[in-house]
Amino acid sequence: MIKIEARVNPKLHWTVLMYVSATCLGLFLTALLLIFSGADVVKAFSALLKGAFGSQKALIATLAKSTPLILTGLATVVAFRAQVWSIGQEGQVYAGAMMAYFGSLILLGLPTWLLISGIILFGMIGGALLGTTAAVLKDRFGVNEIISTVMLNYLIVFLLSYLIGGGPWTEVGDTVVYQQSSTIPEPAQLPMLFDSNKLHMGFLIALVAAVICYIILEKTPLGYEIRALGFNPVALAYRGTNIGKTIIVIMVISGAIAGLAGVSEIFGTSHRLRSDTLANLGYTGIIIGMIGGLRPAGTVVAGIIFGGFSSGALYMKLLAKVPSALIPAMEGILLLAFLCAGVAARYKIVRIQRNV
Amino acid sequence: MSELFQETVIVSILAGTVRIMTPILLAAIGELVTQRAGIWNMGIEGTMLMGVFVAYIVATATGSLWLAVFAAMMAGALVGLLTAFMTATMRVDHFITGLGINLLSAGLTLFWFRIYITGRPQPTFDGFDNVAIPVLSSIPYIGEILFNQRLITYFAFLAVPAIWFLLFRTRLGLEIRCLGENPKALDIKGLNVTIRQYIAIIIGSVMTGLGGGFLMLGYSDRFLPDLSAGRGWLALVAIIAGNWMPKGVLAAVLVFALLESIATHVQVLGIKVPHQIFLALPYLASIIILMGVRGNVKQPVRLGIPYFR
Repeated sequence: MIKIEARVNPKLHWTVLMYVSATCLGLFLTALLLIFSGADVVKAFSALLKGAFGSQKALIATLAKSTPLILTGLATVVAFRAQVWSIGQEGQVYAGAMMAYFGSLILLGLPTWLLISGIILFGMIGGALLGTTAAVLKDRFGVNEIISTVMLNYLIVFLLSYLIGGGPWTEVGDTVVYQQSSTIPEPAQLPMLFDSNKLHMGFLIALVAAVICYIILEKTPLGYEIRALGFNPVALAYRGTNIGKTIIVIMVISGAIAGLAGVSEIFGTSHRLRSDTLANLGYTGIIIGMIGGLRPAGTVVAGIIFGGFSSGALYMKLLAKVPSALIPAMEGILLLAFLCAGVAARYKIVRIQRNV
Repeated sequence: MSELFQETVIVSILAGTVRIMTPILLAAIGELVTQRAGIWNMGIEGTMLMGVFVAYIVATATGSLWLAVFAAMMAGALVGLLTAFMTATMRVDHFITGLGINLLSAGLTLFWFRIYITGRPQPTFDGFDNVAIPVLSSIPYIGEILFNQRLITYFAFLAVPAIWFLLFRTRLGLEIRCLGENPKALDIKGLNVTIRQYIAIIIGSVMTGLGGGFLMLGYSDRFLPDLSAGRGWLALVAIIAGNWMPKGVLAAVLVFALLESIATHVQVLGIKVPHQIFLALPYLASIIILMGVRGNVKQPVRLGIPYFR
């Protein structure tokens, strides 16, 4: 007879083994999907890898793709470490992008550095406002944050759809494309790094945000409260901490970081306010945060790997004729496998003798 | 706005309400069983999307609508099995599991869809027709609204008393409700907790899959990515807003569907209001409803908490 028993202290090599197995399982299931679709598995995976990390150009494209993902991943880390299950990152990305666009319209004409700082600040405020809304709904009205953030995600997408599809921010000019704004003027665009035309200042912002998240979570009293809220909210309340206020602070930080992802995508990459480039950044960020072990450093690594997936997907589509929709499917599979691994790492299988 | 208050338009709005209620009601009333068993299934949206998509594939590949309905329910059952494995066997957090299921379904359906339509025009199918109930359908107004609908719609409304009976008048229902309140009591009596959790999750997921199947086969002729568009989430909100009771769930679903029906009619009638406002209304309403239902009494005590012996 065997029995599953919790481990008091999970051993490192066992944990690593579990996560490596999860990765293998995830890749194996993805390979099955590829076989099912009739594609050449080796060709598809090698095209994906080459497109992601195969050359300097590919690497730069990967880092550019990873920028918003790292940010939404960090936003997830801050909320989930406190066991605040916000999935509002998706909407906060939109809110950040929209506020920043609004900022760019009223601040245009200021010196460049002031303009860029203003836009970034507006973006953070946008994301934070939406995050606060969910936190207040939870604190004052007891509305579950998962449900409220999902509903707010839908609401904000409709708002953007109105603003750029018939509303005041619709593109003006002779050849108007529906559902996008006019191009953002050059001074308001985020400066590029290393003379590339892809990798922009947003990447540095993401790295700085990761460091700040690490410091907040591990080295400050607030970080202690965030972690304690996750472990034992009752004890934290007895200690005299105002739980409602802490949740609001968490959602402000998380929302502001997610808002930065919107700024970086709109002002660094697409240079227009549009919906399709923002879609799914928030949801992917949740996977990245989870796979990164809800740690800032892990999130940066996971973000870069996932950025590689999405920039390699194009190459894979060209070379191996595999639809790039493989990537979200693979990400979902990897997440579920990692969740199981996370649980399995905390248990061991022991033999017990049955006493008759 | 006066166009809205003509007789034919009102009948059409109400008939549309009954139609729109169908998939949400199926999912909500099914997932009520799951929730009563203490499982917070956050993956309803993904489960429904899987039902939508599998129904599309089977309908276009075989031409048989009823086979497609069956396949949608089986797809729901499979997703339910995965959910049950994660939450009841592995005891992963219910919220995170649901998120994973949603992401997985969104990705899988999109990937499969792209492969399915590569190199050919997107296949379409002819959906279900109305089945008018003799005599009843000839009652003025009411007949047109209630008794001239798709078969699955009648089934959805019959499912409400059926689920009530299951939950409150059968032994299995008692055990399921006990899972949500005090699973240890079952365990001590020597009844298997895990198996009952599996049953409750799969009942909910099959109904959600059926809801997805209806969404596909009832009123459209082709699949579009993200066709479920938040209806799974609305089902979840309906359970909370309906205070975990079948009649409350029915009332909440009615409100959501009425709003959506008004929205579509406003668009068709060309009333000069941004249509996004009406699209947003059900989501806004659900937040407001949730703000008002504080202090629930019927919420299962153990909802969302994995059971460890």
